[in-house]
Amino acid sequence: MVELLLLPASIRSELPFGYWLHLLIFGLGIITLLLTSVIIFIWLERRLVGRFQLRHGPNRAGPFGLLQSVADVIKILTKEDIIPSRADKLVFWMAPVIAFTPVVLMLGVVPVADGALLADLNIGILFVVAISSVTSLGVFMAGWSSYNKYSLLSAMRTVAQLVSYEMPLILSMVGVVILTGSLSLNEMVKAQSIPFILLQPAGFFIFFTASLAEINRTPFDLLEADSELVAGYNIEYSGMKFATFYLTEYCEAIVLSTLTATLFLGGWQGPWLPPMIWLLLKIGLVFCVIVWIRATLPRLRIDQVMNFAWKFLLPLAILNLLLTSLSVIFWPTAPAWASGLINLSMLAVFILVYSKFFKPGGKTVAV
Amino acid sequence: MEIGSGINSMDLDLHEGHVIEDLKNSAASALPEPSRWLDEEIERNIITTTVDKLLNWGRKTSLWTETSFTACCTFEFISTSSSRFDIARFGMEVLRSSPRHADLMITAGTLTWKMAPQIKRVYEQMAEPKWVIAMGACGISGGIFADSYAVVPGYNRILPVDVYIPGCPPRPEALLAGIELLRKKIEKRSIAKGN
Amino acid sequence: MLSEFSLIALFILIVLGFATSLVLIPVALRKLGIVPSQPSAVKSEPYECGLETTGPTWIQFKIRYYFYALLLISLDITVVFLYPWAVELTSLGPAGLITIFIFLGILAVGYLYAWRKGALEWK
Repeated sequence: MVELLLLPASIRSELPFGYWLHLLIFGLGIITLLLTSVIIFIWLERRLVGRFQLRHGPNRAGPFGLLQSVADVIKILTKEDIIPSRADKLVFWMAPVIAFTPVVLMLGVVPVADGALLADLNIGILFVVAISSVTSLGVFMAGWSSYNKYSLLSAMRTVAQLVSYEMPLILSMVGVVILTGSLSLNEMVKAQSIPFILLQPAGFFIFFTASLAEINRTPFDLLEADSELVAGYNIEYSGMKFATFYLTEYCEAIVLSTLTATLFLGGWQGPWLPPMIWLLLKIGLVFCVIVWIRATLPRLRIDQVMNFAWKFLLPLAILNLLLTSLSVIFWPTAPAWASGLINLSMLAVFILVYSKFFKPGGKTVAV
Repeated sequence: MEIGSGINSMDLDLHEGHVIEDLKNSAASALPEPSRWLDEEIERNIITTTVDKLLNWGRKTSLWTETSFTACCTFEFISTSSSRFDIARFGMEVLRSSPRHADLMITAGTLTWKMAPQIKRVYEQMAEPKWVIAMGACGISGGIFADSYAVVPGYNRILPVDVYIPGCPPRPEALLAGIELLRKKIEKRSIAKGN
Repeated sequence: MLSEFSLIALFILIVLGFATSLVLIPVALRKLGIVPSQPSAVKSEPYECGLETTGPTWIQFKIRYYFYALLLISLDITVVFLYPWAVELTSLGPAGLITIFIFLGILAVGYLYAWRKGALEWK
């Protein structure tokens, strides 16, 4: 099975039923791997946050509490399904499906080894950009259809935030496209003899921050601020429909960790170990950093979140794009350390200038 | 207070008063123990036993608490959930603000009649299966305010309570012992009896 | 390349089917009596911290949110043009660079106008 996975697509397509075999292996493989890693990563996050707060974390269910997420799944699967009487029933049922589907689809274009991916689209990264914004539609459907004031407010905030951080996210990926000269994710990994995080530190910073906002993680988790919005856009959802939203959130975190690893950390590339193991290790590393940030930073206010996106990240992303294209055109033979240093110093200068002229926050604002 | 059309604060106050009076009249005596059937002998076969075991393990291992705390026993709950006593060991650190996601209501603190309709409503909106722990003297019987006209003499007047934890306030160890009792109780449930 | 796109299309169907089955499993389990179901009038009311809901929920909403949507449409769709340029950057050379600078300059004027007008403030 594993050998079949790592075969180049050209050889696999010559096998009998090669096309359907490919679809079956990768289609089911992606879903299975994603669900397994969600279960493991939820456990990892709860244990890690426990450690950060000088606690033990879940340790009663199974060895080291490994079965904690399994217990959660069993419980939530057999929880009562409540449909609010005033809800828009069809939209209420469709929302979790619409939110969950695009997240899994994004993994279809991510390579786990050289040429080993579901579909090596020549517009890979554009596909990711296009499909990733569908999730916010599902979220808004959930918030609107529940007939609940808090969930509607939360959904509005979510969509405003996702929409705002989409710009810097897309722009920061253009820098990677410039360095690679291709939109295919497989080509991008192959181009990274030096991981792009060293060539594009500012791009990585923008991408990572914007993706934290896209997955609604701390410090951008104000749409789930219990103190003002009860529980976010999924207040009225119970049982498996709520679990689907929970799953979507974690899948998004894992998918964006995967994209970070693929675009900036060299994807499946690495010595000694098999490529797939390298990719999983890098995903785990990025996810641990996300958890670290969650345990460290407090939540931002909505006006701060919006200002950060539109007045800081967006100009920075455009500047990064201009500088990268300039250096590629006029100094194509630049050594890696020089272009990395240029990028880093641009980030530093921008932050210094910005902090000189702008003072964020301070006033009270209405939401 | 213009929220919708045709609603003024006078009407709202009056309505609230009626709701409270109705609740007060209907809560003259304590509600019976909700799961007395646990002590009965249930006819079980091999399928129900296996399914029961799995379901009950899942349910007792991931009890998510509803954050509806009324008064001072809350601080004991907070201390139970932070580092020294660490409720997260039992998978209970997930506090959900929405009753649709929660399994367990810990009634920490004195409940006034003014607040009672809201608490009852939150309980009724929780998704099945759900449990209630009455925490502290006020939660059990109204405590030192038991004779007051303003205080509900025990949560079991308005909600079916599963476990009582005495103390004023109970120590975190007592709360953990109460949770352990509830877990033992959940283990006895069976799908043959409805759920 | 067409077969690659057909793979993605089939994958969309697989994932849609999986997500739908996720939502429908509890319905089947309810028929088996494993998922409890005790509906009541109060339970299916909207949850607003224990209070009854007053007034309509589906109302006209703050205009602030639509500003951001408009800004996104004006900037996001133009940004899509950057991707083909970024792929062909080296072959287009400085001429392409100047063109895209003019393009970004026009964008920047709109962006600065929005900033000056206070469209980016959260008020």
